[in-house]
Amino acid sequence: MRVTAILTTALAMAVAFIVLLGFFFPVPALLELRAILTNWAMTIGGMAVFIGVLNLVAVHIGKIQKRQKGSELGVILVFSLLSVFTYGVLFGVEDPLMQMTMNAVIAPVEAALMALLVVTLTYTGIRLLRWRRDLAAILFLAVVVLFLAAMAPKPFDNGILDGLIVNVAGTIAQGGARGLLIGVALGALLTGLRVMFGIDRPYGGD
Amino acid sequence: MFTLDFISGLIGFILTLLIFSYLINDNPLFRMAVYLFIGAASGYAAAVVWQYLLAPQVSVILHSEDLGEWLLAAIPLILGVSLLSKLSPKISSLGSVAMALFVGVGAATALGGAVLGTLIPQVGAAIGAVDVQADSGDAFARFVEGGVMLAGTALTLAYFQFSAGRAPDGTPKRNIVFEGIAGIGRLFIAITFGVLFAGVYMAALTAMIERLNAMVDFIRPWIGF
Repeated sequence: MRVTAILTTALAMAVAFIVLLGFFFPVPALLELRAILTNWAMTIGGMAVFIGVLNLVAVHIGKIQKRQKGSELGVILVFSLLSVFTYGVLFGVEDPLMQMTMNAVIAPVEAALMALLVVTLTYTGIRLLRWRRDLAAILFLAVVVLFLAAMAPKPFDNGILDGLIVNVAGTIAQGGARGLLIGVALGALLTGLRVMFGIDRPYGGD
Repeated sequence: MFTLDFISGLIGFILTLLIFSYLINDNPLFRMAVYLFIGAASGYAAAVVWQYLLAPQVSVILHSEDLGEWLLAAIPLILGVSLLSKLSPKISSLGSVAMALFVGVGAATALGGAVLGTLIPQVGAAIGAVDVQADSGDAFARFVEGGVMLAGTALTLAYFQFSAGRAPDGTPKRNIVFEGIAGIGRLFIAITFGVLFAGVYMAALTAMIERLNAMVDFIRPWIGF
């Protein structure tokens, strides 16, 4: 193990212990140190976003220079990215034109892409029974259909049956979702412990 | 006529049409809209990061006369800049210190959040659901409901227990009791994902209705209804 690797591993472990201790022992000095380290991590994360954006621009400029297939679309990406960023830095993100970018481009495209999910989810649901026809798949689709039918507005009163479907499926799903959440939390706990004890070193401490 | 609202509505209308053109087939118009979106969203995100995170730190470095304050602003920025070295394999180790700090804080925050934000509250809620004395309502109904939820939680977790012994032919094989428990857990997971799928479907449907509504509202003055 190289010296740099030892140092970075020791740094990651020390920082992780300080921040974690701050969670469980709210001593003022520890809390202040935790706040400083968290702020530093946020700034580093912000710089990482910048570097990611820089890399995106560099990759597309490289494709444009080599005249690769589809690089014309890269021109749109680079132009829109640089113009929005430059304008945002010069005039601030609260500027009316920046807000227009959000209202005219980002929000409508996000909503339209979300709307496309209706078609893809319907198609996937129909295809599911072609790929697998076991009890779990049938139960999954039955719950989807029943739940959507119960939630849909109807011209007649079907309150008791709808309420029963939503309550029964909701109660079972709540139990299942709680199990999944606890499982995810246990996974995060284990991964965090592996990093804290230097078993996993994703920062390059080989 | 050409107010900011009108231009905003027109651009939104055209982009929505371009995105919906995907329903015919994957085409250059759809991809053009997606590339424009990625560019604008990335630029916007970078501008937000600059304005709220980095610019205040740079301002401190340029104007502060307090050495402690100056150091607190300068160190993370220098560490952040060192991340640029990750773009070149030859000098990538220069960014390892910043990465180590970032990963250390991230791991501890995730760990603390998992324990205090998920594990303890969720385990508490699972226990509280079968606490019949806690509610003045129908204790039996509450017990049944809580029991089903608790069973769902336990069986779902049991499904993810993949420790297995060896069958006579050498293939991995789970204990038959655990196999049965995991099988029931799988059904609970199927129902949970069914409800989640229905929720996402309804959210997507709402987004589609909102987009169609916005498009109709935009063209309504011209077609006169």
